[in-house]
Amino acid sequence: MKTNNHSEIGWHMILGAIVFLMLVPIVFALSNSFKTLQDAFNTIFEIIPSHPTLENYRHVFEKLPFVQITLNTFLIAASVTIFKTITSLFAAYSFVYFDYKGKQFFYFIMLSTMFIPFTVTMIPNYLMISKLGLRDCIWGVALPQFADVLGIFLLRQAMRGIPKALIEAARMEGIGSLKIMRDIILPLVRPSILTTGIIFFINSWNEYVWPVLILKSKENYTLSLALQMYISAEGGTEFTIAMAVSVITMIIPLALYLIFQRYIINTFAASGVKG
Amino acid sequence: MNNIVFEHVVKAYGKNVIVNDLNMEIREGERLILLGPSGCGKSTTLRMIAGLEDITSGSLHMRGQVVNNVACGDRGVSMVFQNYALFPHMTVKNNIIYGLKAHKMEAAEINRRLEEVLEILQLKGLEDRKPKDLSGGQRQRVALARAVVKRSDYFLLDEPLSNLDAQLRLRARKELVKIHEMYRPTMVYVTHDQIEAMTVGQRVAIMYRGNMEMLDTPSHVYNMPASIFCARFIGSPSMNIISCQYENGNLSIGDQMIRLAPMWRPIADACPSGKYCVGIRPEHIVLSSRPTETSICGTVKYVEDYGNRYGVYIDVKGEKSELIAICNDSVPRPGENIFMNIDFRKLHLFDAQSEKSLGYPEEIRRLNAALDFSMPDAQNKNQKTGGKYHESFGQYQCV
Amino acid sequence: MNNETKKQTILGYLFLIPSLAVFAVFMFYPLLYTFYLSFFEWNMVKPVKKFVGLNNYIAVFRDPNTFKILGNTLAYILVLLVLNFVLPYILSFILSAVIRHGKSFYKAVFFLPSVISLVVGSILYTWILNPISGPVAIILGKFGIQMPFWSKTDGWVIAVLCIITTWKTFGYNFINILAGVSGVSQEVIEAARLDQVPMWKIFLDIIVPMSSATGIYVFITTIVQGLQYVFTPIKVITQGGPNYASSNLIYASYHEAFTLYRTGTSSAISILTMLLFIVLLLLEFKFVEKGVYYEN
Repeated sequence: MKTNNHSEIGWHMILGAIVFLMLVPIVFALSNSFKTLQDAFNTIFEIIPSHPTLENYRHVFEKLPFVQITLNTFLIAASVTIFKTITSLFAAYSFVYFDYKGKQFFYFIMLSTMFIPFTVTMIPNYLMISKLGLRDCIWGVALPQFADVLGIFLLRQAMRGIPKALIEAARMEGIGSLKIMRDIILPLVRPSILTTGIIFFINSWNEYVWPVLILKSKENYTLSLALQMYISAEGGTEFTIAMAVSVITMIIPLALYLIFQRYIINTFAASGVKG
Repeated sequence: MNNIVFEHVVKAYGKNVIVNDLNMEIREGERLILLGPSGCGKSTTLRMIAGLEDITSGSLHMRGQVVNNVACGDRGVSMVFQNYALFPHMTVKNNIIYGLKAHKMEAAEINRRLEEVLEILQLKGLEDRKPKDLSGGQRQRVALARAVVKRSDYFLLDEPLSNLDAQLRLRARKELVKIHEMYRPTMVYVTHDQIEAMTVGQRVAIMYRGNMEMLDTPSHVYNMPASIFCARFIGSPSMNIISCQYENGNLSIGDQMIRLAPMWRPIADACPSGKYCVGIRPEHIVLSSRPTETSICGTVKYVEDYGNRYGVYIDVKGEKSELIAICNDSVPRPGENIFMNIDFRKLHLFDAQSEKSLGYPEEIRRLNAALDFSMPDAQNKNQKTGGKYHESFGQYQCV
Repeated sequence: MNNETKKQTILGYLFLIPSLAVFAVFMFYPLLYTFYLSFFEWNMVKPVKKFVGLNNYIAVFRDPNTFKILGNTLAYILVLLVLNFVLPYILSFILSAVIRHGKSFYKAVFFLPSVISLVVGSILYTWILNPISGPVAIILGKFGIQMPFWSKTDGWVIAVLCIITTWKTFGYNFINILAGVSGVSQEVIEAARLDQVPMWKIFLDIIVPMSSATGIYVFITTIVQGLQYVFTPIKVITQGGPNYASSNLIYASYHEAFTLYRTGTSSAISILTMLLFIVLLLLEFKFVEKGVYYEN
């Protein structure tokens, strides 16, 4: 299609400005996390620090049980990811490949949970976790995250893309449902499973509400809570340390995203609601 | 007995009836074609045999047992799907032996069978490719191999050639028949392509709107169609169907009248509704510039050139629809007056109300039976079916 | 019921049960319990809950702060819709119709902040937009403009918190809308171009109606998810302040429950929030799911 080159260049400039805005905070954090506090205030526009230092990172690991905190975050995210991926896989399979009464109803009510604000389930879940004796315990943070329809939705969309005849061909061979799932469905929706797992992991890694409500002692903290210690609206004396913690917190999600970027974007683009 | 019997089988989704009161027997070892336009219920019928669709009412028997509630994996059926349904993540080899392996068949036996089908279907050297690296014809053969390797008693095919181009289709047709001749499973083959039906089938079941219109040999389906639908569905261009009047042995078409041959009169007299349609295939109309006793006169409207022959469109006075005749030489010109000679041995009479055939005189039946060499001989099942196929298999005998 | 149907039913439920169980325990039961709590006065500690009927709801509507919070919620919705719905809609049209090179680059970069924690986002923006020593304040200072103390100023605070949230959610919405917009047949657009229809008219008359299913979906999620996402920067940066100027329905409910320990009012607010979302849900099913459901 022939388009006006001038207007295309103009739009590239606008899009470029948005790219700039998207990336600035990340670059800002990276750059300042390697500066001393003094340098940071004097050379705030310097992207590559002239006197790079690891002091901020060292400080974080000395002042806080940071290895433990990172491990906590990882354990919560990993357990939530594994649990949700497996249950979502089974639920999606059930919705796509079995016919039974009530299927539409259950899909409908599960999908509807996207519209339940977290504040509605917040108090009862908090009370439940307390009753289970899981307050100030990382498993108390993980549990309420188990109910999530996103994975069911994404995997259901992916499975609907597999021709039904493939399943029928396997059934004609007398192969049972679990084996069909293992041999046929899993290999074919692997990219979507991967994406779903990564999204689960990242979301849980970034989870803020439940750690705030459940966790009290520093050795049980997650990264979100550690970060919160360095905030104050007027700024403060620990600016560069806050940047270092920010970098540590975002490095894993960013790495996962950069490695699996194509999968993730394709899965979301393909799952889109197309009327 | 590896036959399949349908007894009053109905398939419906709510009020939407897909297959309506189907009764038929598919005989052991035969090649039966389910033929019909899309939406006629032929695929559903096949999928009921496969066990992929529930049966709403009636009973389906296989090997003399009711199988309504037998799961599809336990029916001893193999199937070739329209889009082949090859597992895209498996190699050709794994696609073929997946089912055998799942049933824990001995490795040596698996290998033996694999080698055999690879050989028969000329897939040697492609074992380790993925389906996406195969051509359409190769994929079709892999799908066939996957079904053949099971050595099931029943062999179902759902439009297996519809994704191939014309030349490949011709070859694949012969291959299919050859493979059937080797193992002789009971074969049910769904297609909407009449040429496929006529060439592959030993018997053809024509379905229309959930009803079975006719079940007979390809030759009978062509020569003695049971209804107007069957008559028009088989043959190209379609049979000319003209509504007409019949009185005292006289047939009037448009404003013309011909005397019906005596053998047809008892049949015409027995028409329940008293409303008639006469059918005559374009290739059976003999055109001449001079009238005969049994000809009707018309004006040539235009002529289509098919390359090897011509389709002549003719207007008959007093008749709304135009007639088509096929001729090979001496093509008439548009505007020319022409006489269509009607051969009473190639005539069809239908009840215009029920659209069913009124039947055929004994003489024509005998004539057609003599022509029909595709009729499977029920008494001698183990012999080759008929001369019609021997010829085309000649080249395969050495395989 | 024949064997096949029976088998399908049993296996279907068997596969569904794990998810159904967690949903029942962590979603549906809490939902009912919160509804129950909204009729009681309680502080999570007292052994007895006092039944107060509709008083919690009445109290919510009598509280003058509620109207401020409702107004804020509306303001959040409007700003988020502009930044997270209108803007990505236009840009996705530009990307699919005008831009020829660099499409996947833009997609990848726009989506990138989506994977970063909003706590991180909140901290980074607090510093970048620090009204005294932040880089933006310094640049503005060079032009003689004084940056407002946005975290303490009505109006500004909502705008900035929305910008922080947008940084995270923009990419996700953009990818979704782009999928819908790219689904519009190129032939239709080309036909319009041959008739020399201006681009903005193509966008409004062709693209928007033909991608409306996606459009409505994103419109609704922008509101429903946006209000919940913005909770994090509120909690991290302003705690609803100054004087409720940045609180919204979600934060108010949290604040009532875990700062003031009034489970009744908190539950009443969250039930009201859910009612608002249910109205949106009904819209969603009316417009969007129809196509998804009857596809097969």
